[in-house]
Amino acid sequence: MSTALDEEDARALAGREVALIDILDRLLQGGVVLAGDLVLSIAGVDLVRIDLRAVIAPVDAAHPAPPLL
Amino acid sequence: MTDIAEHMVYAYAVLRPTPEAARAVAALRGVADEQVGLVETGDLAAAVGPVPAAEFGEEPLKARLEELTRLESLARGHHGVVSALAPLGAVLPLRLATVYRDEDRVRQTLQERRDEFLPLLERLTGRVEWGVKIYTDAKDTGGGEEASGASEDGSEGAGLSPGRAYLAARRRRRRGAEDAWQVAVRTAARIADEAGEIAVERVAHRPQRGELAGVGGGEPGENIANDAYLVPADRAADFRARVLAAAEGQEGVRVEVTGPWAPYSFALPPAPAARRESA
Amino acid sequence: MSATPDRPAKRLSTDPDSVERDLAQLVLTVVELLRQLMERQALHRVDKGDLTEEQEERIGMTLMLLQQRMEEMCDRHGLRMEDLNLDLGPLGTLLSPAGQA
Repeated sequence: MSTALDEEDARALAGREVALIDILDRLLQGGVVLAGDLVLSIAGVDLVRIDLRAVIAPVDAAHPAPPLL
Repeated sequence: MTDIAEHMVYAYAVLRPTPEAARAVAALRGVADEQVGLVETGDLAAAVGPVPAAEFGEEPLKARLEELTRLESLARGHHGVVSALAPLGAVLPLRLATVYRDEDRVRQTLQERRDEFLPLLERLTGRVEWGVKIYTDAKDTGGGEEASGASEDGSEGAGLSPGRAYLAARRRRRRGAEDAWQVAVRTAARIADEAGEIAVERVAHRPQRGELAGVGGGEPGENIANDAYLVPADRAADFRARVLAAAEGQEGVRVEVTGPWAPYSFALPPAPAARRESA
Repeated sequence: MSATPDRPAKRLSTDPDSVERDLAQLVLTVVELLRQLMERQALHRVDKGDLTEEQEERIGMTLMLLQQRMEEMCDRHGLRMEDLNLDLGPLGTLLSPAGQA
């Protein structure tokens, strides 16, 4: 069983044909996160600066909101 | 002899300490254009490289992650190393910016987590990752704005007071958009089923948006699925063909397949501390 | 003030008119997000049927007036509704590409 990638795939894989956003998806959300004597782990860095959960608060009869205007 | 305090160790991946691995890393240069090497301990190894502490300490590294051009060079450098090692067949990629004080610490981590790494490497052997991104094709899956709710097609609005007519029109507009969305989502599910016939595992990443996503430059629509699949390497071509075929002729969606990737998305889940607590 | 990584296109310029426009864009984007979220909640409650006709009318009028006000304010600052969005960098935008919350 061949586990090797062919040359063309290997080149495309490492080269600029790969979109940055696809790389970032994998490097920032994938990969093992190691703790311990680490200088820095990306797991501690949050690139999203606005937390939408703080803005969204569903309202219904059980959780009334103040009157609109 | 370099002053050790001036350098730190950037770690790229965990792998098996084979002669092929040693040859592979010898040909590689890393994120700081450093020579990549192996740290070995028993039946495990890590691909690492010495990097300047001034650039890869916590503060400068964090700053780098927040500047897109510098983040890009870091990400591509890192990806270059991992992707060059992927053909070895069993590679456990580490997350971006995994930096140690010295090689002894790396060795220690390998030893401490040997019982996790070995089975994981085994599981990833002979398998590659493929990305499947699904986009809506329709131009009007968004709500958009309209000039005046009350003057819209009045069939539902007839007889309603202005405020209620406005809401009725908005509901109609949103519902129309939602219907188109539903069709796209259902098609995406069918594509996922097809992919699942061959893949052994699937991970869903968050949908891509914004300038980097590249949607909108002539291509309409929105990214609704951004999935990673773990596929046996010898079925890679079959997988790609099947997914593209499943999307062909499907209304409302467009598919993009990326890969093959080293299995970034199928490495250990994060927060080993939390896992220990729940064990 | 900028919520984006350091890229020239998004940096606030020192030109006073542009600074005001950029600030307006930022503020109006957040207001538009909230307006859309309120609208979505209102429609949800209308669908559930737990509003009286009078409440529906009042909420509908409020949202309609809010929308008109948004368009006026955009106009006043030389913005279109399509310009309202917040770039969070590589991870995307606050509103969807179609401008929806």
